[in-house]
Amino acid sequence: MKWLLCAVTLLWKSAVQAQDSLRMAVTTSFHNSGLADVLLPEIQKDLGLEVQLLIVGTGQALRLGQAGDVDAILVHSRAAEEAFIAEGYGTHRREIMYNDFVIVGPQEDPAGITDATDAAQSLGQIALAQAPFVSRGDDSGTHKKEQSLWQDAGLDPTVSGDWYRAVGAGMGAALNTASGMEAYVLSDRASWLNFANKGELALLFAGDPALFNQYAYLPVNAQRHPHVRSDLTARLEGWLTSDRAAALIDGYMIDGEQLFVFNAQTSD
Amino acid sequence: MVFPLVVTDAETRRRGKVLVGPVTLHLAGAAATVIIGPNGSGKTTLLRLLHGTARLHAGSITWQVPMDEVRPMQSFVFQRPVMLRRSVVDNIAYPLLVRGVAKSTAVAQAHDWAKRVGLHAMSDRAATSLSGGEQQKLALARAFITDPQVVFLDEPSASLDGRATAEIEAILQAQKAQGTRLIMSTHDMGQARRIADEIIFLRGGQVHETSPAAPFFDTPQTDAARAFLKGDIVE
Repeated sequence: MKWLLCAVTLLWKSAVQAQDSLRMAVTTSFHNSGLADVLLPEIQKDLGLEVQLLIVGTGQALRLGQAGDVDAILVHSRAAEEAFIAEGYGTHRREIMYNDFVIVGPQEDPAGITDATDAAQSLGQIALAQAPFVSRGDDSGTHKKEQSLWQDAGLDPTVSGDWYRAVGAGMGAALNTASGMEAYVLSDRASWLNFANKGELALLFAGDPALFNQYAYLPVNAQRHPHVRSDLTARLEGWLTSDRAAALIDGYMIDGEQLFVFNAQTSD
Repeated sequence: MVFPLVVTDAETRRRGKVLVGPVTLHLAGAAATVIIGPNGSGKTTLLRLLHGTARLHAGSITWQVPMDEVRPMQSFVFQRPVMLRRSVVDNIAYPLLVRGVAKSTAVAQAHDWAKRVGLHAMSDRAATSLSGGEQQKLALARAFITDPQVVFLDEPSASLDGRATAEIEAILQAQKAQGTRLIMSTHDMGQARRIADEIIFLRGGQVHETSPAAPFFDTPQTDAARAFLKGDIVE
């Protein structure tokens, strides 16, 4: 079992009397949001389908899909997803919901990013102030988004000095490191709101359309991997794009704040 | 005017370990304060603490105006400045654009500054293609273009050759003559003598001795300062 050897975290959910089970790779940011804990029991209840989650970064999730280690993936990195489909590893890409990325940092905001006009300018100011910045550095969707924002800012932070720290870890670990270092970090909003160890960190910048974070569902291609349960991935997709899912996703809140916006084209 | 800067028992820590402090200072009047001391004595951290990019964990740092008003009046020049992937002149203009200055005005001022620091001939070149000394001159122009009252410089000519160092110092002296307050660190005692009006000798994260520059170099008051100036190893 390659995915076990890769030290992937596997969560077994709701194993009671499951008639069918499906493996799905999801991002750490999705899992950290807590939404999985709301959706999975409802899927089990409505479809009698046990969804086993493999919680990894987007890059690793796509690799699991390529290898046929999972039946479907739910990730957030459009370019990588489209390449996955184009190469025939997935049958199609279905947008489900979105949230947004935010830039978190020390409350005093030494780089002065709260007044920035856009996300690229925020990163530019962090770089010029050489203020500590923690990067996921793990090929995740969040990491890919961060890299594209640095590109927009005209910067390659990996060659710019020791203020830029890539931790090669998930969102929770990156936020913890940023909290300990009092550093800036790019996070999805859900992970930030769910993060318990905020310390002296605060949400400093959000709202730029460039920080839009679209999640998409991609069934793995059963023609490449015949063991893939395409019947189950289709049932799950139907549920994820249903009015029932819409109500649960849109209704999911932390501290009164809606975390995700359902935007799937509904099945019916 | 943001000065005097009054520092009282200021301390910054990381993971419970005191990096700098307690430090008490009163900075006013002098045009250039130079922080010297052995490796690891906390020079960079003290600069960051005064600049507001290192967290103050104890004590106080008080400017004449609130910190949010001080911030736009200060700049920081690093030993290894970050170059944006754009032209020399666009790099220099960047802080003005961030402040909402119209692009045409920002670029015109950037050209003027490129000339003042000797980079005019390469205004349109990619900043990342510049030599170390040229990048540092660009960083100075980018720091001075906002007309700051105080500029922090962390070993601005470390690892540069003699000619580049002389050019950097000439720019600093010109700005100092125009009234810009400089607070900088250096390992280069010759540079400290040339630039400093006031010396802070740091040791073990604390101010070991502080005085006007001339008497410090002529008659240092502590054994450690005397040994340091002599070139002895001081921890």
